[in-house]
Amino acid sequence: MSTNDQFRELIEAYAIGSLDASERAAFEAHLAGGCDDCVKALEEARWTVSQLAYLAPNAEPSDMLKGRLMQTVRAEAASGAKSESPVRKTAVPWWLWAGVAALLIFSVLSARNEQRLRQAVADLQHQAQVQQAERERLEAELGEAKTQAHEAMIWSDPNSVKIMLRPKDPKMPQLEAMWHPELGLCVRGWKVPSPGDKRMLQLWLIPKAGGKPMPSMTFWPDATGTFTAMVENPPQAMSETQALAITEEPAGGSAQPTSTPMWVGRVS
Amino acid sequence: MFLAAFSPKSSDDVSPDATLMEHLLRRDVGAFEELYERHSRIVYSLVLRILRQGATAEEVVQDVFLQLWRNSAHYDVSRPFLPWLLTLARNRALDQLRLKGERQRRREEQTEEFPQIASAAPEYEQALDEKRRAERVRTLIGSLPSAQKKAIELAYFEGLSHSEIAASLKEPLGTVKSWIRNGLLRLKEGLQAIS
Repeated sequence: MSTNDQFRELIEAYAIGSLDASERAAFEAHLAGGCDDCVKALEEARWTVSQLAYLAPNAEPSDMLKGRLMQTVRAEAASGAKSESPVRKTAVPWWLWAGVAALLIFSVLSARNEQRLRQAVADLQHQAQVQQAERERLEAELGEAKTQAHEAMIWSDPNSVKIMLRPKDPKMPQLEAMWHPELGLCVRGWKVPSPGDKRMLQLWLIPKAGGKPMPSMTFWPDATGTFTAMVENPPQAMSETQALAITEEPAGGSAQPTSTPMWVGRVS
Repeated sequence: MFLAAFSPKSSDDVSPDATLMEHLLRRDVGAFEELYERHSRIVYSLVLRILRQGATAEEVVQDVFLQLWRNSAHYDVSRPFLPWLLTLARNRALDQLRLKGERQRRREEQTEEFPQIASAAPEYEQALDEKRRAERVRTLIGSLPSAQKKAIELAYFEGLSHSEIAASLKEPLGTVKSWIRNGLLRLKEGLQAIS
C-alpha cells in the first residue's frame, strides 16, 4: 500500500472527526504537503458526512427562537452594528463611504474650527472686558486727578476765599473751606467722627436774604476721619451766601436740614 | 464530478441558497429570514440530536444563524450551502457538548423527549427534496449492521474518536475504523445514485 493509499483511508474518518490525535496530525501534515487528490476527496467526504444530519429525528425550533433572531438581525441591520463584517464593504458603494468620510472629516474640522472660533471670541471678549476695566480705571484715575487738580487750583488760587467752619461741639475738629467765585467750593477736614449708621454729612449754603438753606453736596469722612469734598457749581453765588453749615442727614441727603448744624462758617 | 451534482448551479435545492447568500452579503434581512425558514428545522434537529436538550439546542441554533448573518462573507458561494451550514452547526453543538460536560448531564436526562417534533413536512418545495434525501440517508444507514450504525452515530453525534468508540462498543479499533469508513463510502454511493 502506497503512502497516498494510507492517507486516502483516513479521509472519511478525518471528515467525520473520529481520527485519534496522532493520525489526525499526520493527515493534516499530508494535506499541508499539497495532495490535491486527498483535498478533493476530503471535500466529497465532508459533504457525505454532512448528510448524516438527516439521521436526527425531525424537530422544529420554537417561534420564539425565530423572533429573537429576527429582532437581533433587524436591529443590527438598522444600526450597522457589525461594521467588522466585510459584507458591509460590498453592500455600500465606495463613493458613499468616501462621501461619509469627507463629511466626517469636514464635521471634525468644522467642530475644531468652531471650537477655535469660540475660544477666540471668548479670548477677545475677555480682552475687551480687561481693556474696559482698565479704561474705567484710567478714567477714574484721570477723573480723580482732574478733581485733585481742580481742588488744588481752588485751594491755591489767590481769588479763593477761605472759610473756617467752627464746630458747635468744642470736642469736634474745626473744618475749612475754600470758595473760588468761578472754580467752585471745597471743604475738607481731619479727625472728623463718622456719622451714624445710614447717615452722612451735608453742606448747606445759608442765603444772606434770610431764605431757606440751600442744600449742597453730601460727603462722609474715611476711616481716619479725613475728607475732601468739592462742588464746582454751588447752588448760589458766594456773594449771595451768608454762611456755610454742615449737618448730619440721612443717607442720600435732604432737601432741608433735619438736624442742628454741627459746623458753621461765615462767608466774609 | 460527484460534488458537481450538489453544486448550486445544478441542484434545485441549493441554487436558491446561493442566491439568498448573495442577498445576505448585502445585509438583506429578508434573505436571512428565508434561509432560516428553509434550514432551521434540519439545523435544529441535528443540534437537538447532539445536545438532547431543547433550550441549549436553541441557543446553539441561534448562535449558528447569527454567525451566518454576521460572517456571511466567510461563506464561499461556489460551495453547497447546506452542508456548510450543517457542518457549522454540528461543530458548534459538539463544542457545546464538550464545553459544558453535557454528556454527563444527558445521561441523567435520558428520559427527556424531543420537544416540538415536526408533525408534517414543510410546505415549500425545497422540503420535498430534503425529505427525500433524509429518507435515503436513513435507509442507507439503517441498512448497516446495528453496531456499525452505532459507531457512525457515536462519531457523528457524539464526536467520539475511533479509540473512544472502540472502548464504548468494546470492539477492536481496526474494526471501528473499517465500519466508519465503509459506512460513509456506502452512504456516498447511495446518495450519488439518487442524484
